[in-house]
Formats: sequence, C-alpha cells, structure tokens
Amino acid sequence: MSVTFTLNGHAAAVDADPATPLLYALLGELRLNGAKYGCGVGQCGACTVLVDDRPAFSCLLPLSAARGRRVRTVEGLGETGRLGPVQAAFEAEQAAQCGYCIAGMIMRAQALLERNNRPAESEVRTALSPNLCRCGTHMRILRAVRRAAVAMGGAVRDAGEPVGPS
Amino acid sequence: MTVVASRRSVMAGGALVVAFAMARASLGQTDAGTKLAGDLAKFPWLDSWIAVDGEGRITVFTGKAELGQGIRTAFIQLAADELDVTPERVSLVTADTARTPDEGVTAGSHSMQDSGAAIRNAAANVRLMLAQAAATRWGLPPSEVATRGGAAHAPDGRTIGYGPLAAALSLHVAARPDAPLKSAGDRRLIGRNWPRVDIPAKLTGGPAYRRCRQRRVRRPRSASARHAAVARADQGSDRRLTANAGCRRMSATLERALERTAREVDDGKTSPGG
Repeated sequence: MSVTFTLNGHAAAVDADPATPLLYALLGELRLNGAKYGCGVGQCGACTVLVDDRPAFSCLLPLSAARGRRVRTVEGLGETGRLGPVQAAFEAEQAAQCGYCIAGMIMRAQALLERNNRPAESEVRTALSPNLCRCGTHMRILRAVRRAAVAMGGAVRDAGEPVGPS
Repeated sequence: MTVVASRRSVMAGGALVVAFAMARASLGQTDAGTKLAGDLAKFPWLDSWIAVDGEGRITVFTGKAELGQGIRTAFIQLAADELDVTPERVSLVTADTARTPDEGVTAGSHSMQDSGAAIRNAAANVRLMLAQAAATRWGLPPSEVATRGGAAHAPDGRTIGYGPLAAALSLHVAARPDAPLKSAGDRRLIGRNWPRVDIPAKLTGGPAYRRCRQRRVRRPRSASARHAAVARADQGSDRRLTANAGCRRMSATLERALERTAREVDDGKTSPGG
C-alpha cells in the first residue's frame, strides 16, 4: 500500500509496509543520504528529520505516521552553493568532524530557530541534547547555532558560557 | 640500513614480517643511504602517490582514510604547496585498495607523519622532475627554471605547463630523499586554515557514509549461544547472510530487507545452506 506525504516540498509516495520506519524509506526507496542510521532505537539523533516542523527520530517513526504530513530533511534546506542559514553557519564554523551526526544536528537546530530565533543558550543545549556527537564537535556546533540564530534575524541569549577557543 | 619493526609486529608476525619489511625498505634506500620520508620508504615509486595528467591536473593517492580528521584537505594543501599549483588543481583518492598504497590502518595520529610526509616529499620530487624536464627542453641549467601556477618558467619569459611536461615523463621512478622542500616562508597553504573539502557534502546530504548495500552484524543472543550453520537468507532476492565466529553478517540493498533477515535470524527461521 502506498503512503503519500510531502518531502522537502514535493509530493512523495512510498510503496511499502506502513510499519516500515520512515528512515528506511528515505534511505531506500527515496534515495536520500542526509538522515543517517545510527542506533535504530531513537537514542542518538543521527536520523532526525522534521515532520510538520517538529524534530522526529525517523528510525522510530512508522511510515504510516508520515501520511499526509510535511517531512523535511537536510537536503531540503539547501545545497552546495545555495546553503540554508543553518547549513551556512555550520560551514562557517567548520562544525563537522566525521559528520555522521551533523544532518540530525542541523535539523534539530533548524526546528528550534524556526520556532524561536532568540533562544537562551540553555535552550539551545536542551534542544540539541537528544543528538549525540562522539567526535566531540559540540563547541563548534554551539557556535554554529549562535551564528545561525543571527543569520535568521535573532540571537542566542546568554551565550556567555565558556565555549573554548574560536 | 635500519629496519624499524615494532615489538607488536614482531610478536604478531615473527621473522617473516621482518624479512618482508627489509625487502621493501631496501627499495626505499638510495645510493646516498638516506631514508625516505614516511611511507615513501615502503612505496618509493612516485606514481604510487602522484599522477599528473595531460592537462596538468594532479591526482594524489593516499592509503589513509578520510574519516573527518581532515586529511583530504591537509594532503591537498601539502601537495599543492610543494607542486606550486592551486589546490583546485589537486584531487585526492583515499584508501582505494585498487589504486592507493596499502598504508595499513588509519589510526594513532599517523596519517600526517606516514602519508603526509610521503605525499609532501613525493610532490617535491615531481616538481623537481618537471622543472628538470623543462630545463632540458630549453637547454637551461635546472636552477634557472622556476615553477609556479602549474607551469615551468624560464628567465626569458618562456613558459610550459605541467601537462605537456608530464606527458613526456614517467613517474614510475623511485623518489630521492633530498628533493628540496618549501621553506616556511615559501608556503602558501601549509600551516594556514583552509576550509575542509569534505564538509559541504556532510551539510547537504551528499553521499558521505552511504553505501549501495546496507550491512549489519547480528550477534547471538547470549555469549554462549551460536547461530545455526551459515544460511543464504533468501534465494532470488539480493539479501545475503554469512556467518563468522558465531556472528551473522547480513547485507541487502534496502534497510527493511535487512531487518527482515535480522528477525529471521533471531527467530531461527533462516535455514542452513548456501
């Protein structure tokens, strides 16, 4: 049975068991690369996508739950040469090491800043806390979110906590 | 001649490893008896590390894997500086068993000292050969030929690109250990921050970390349990299942086909065979 939804602004249809995790459909049938399979149990955030503007673990979300909704992945935010503001901030801060977690980090930061472009530093940290980065890129990621907030017309408040050398 | 064999390699491989290392190291020795830098000592042929095509484009080969530590960027900086070309002229092939030197594991902060040193010195060798080829062509002493912007230049203004020079040159020659390296003052890229070339794809859903086939290892449910004999999971589909040391290795094109295999393994439904 086909499940239809909006993917990065375009209509998408996937002919698969509705219990299939959304991530598998994104990586398999829909041939995207951005969302990553990390843990498969919603504990690492590498698979994070936006469903109706809210972050979701696509490894846990059944395809049926995406029916009729707006799904966004990192591919939908921009491409090389036309980066979205969050992607551009991550590039400016060189906020990726191995990069496996970064698409999920970007999506979660995107959701936060769309909802509130003047978050407190503590809100940024809380918002990103479901996403793990084992390279240790956290300080660059936080700097990137601060830069992105400015690019989106706001600013991270109280960004006074120690952030290490720039 | 000094052969460096770590205690671990001797313990693990015994005398055969040492003998092999001696044979390979001897290739890296020159008449002067000076040791080649980094893994050039193991793979002294310049064409193991660098290719220059007829358009003057440079390809650098490394046996170390880019895994986010930035060596793709760093090696391009090294080669471009020593070859007097812009970094855009340099592409890099990393860890391709068919094309690159086998430099073993990428670990222990060894990439720069083993592969980086080799690439830097190989690039200096290639630049020297290109300059000498131009000197021969023009009947000039090599010291009068300068290289910049991917071309050789004579004092009288004559110039020739690396492409035509390389087309008449074989790089299947052993490196010499004394090819002059750029001094600190002459470096344009080494030691400067340069945006990592691997990052844009990681921000946009490029093909990083994506494989055509998904793979997974399934361990038995308890330490003492063992899966039944190796099974080919599914005749007629592209699912594959093999076993090793009590673990099942699975692969399939689609993630959910893989999950189905995993469930079957857990349920004992996959039949031995294959």
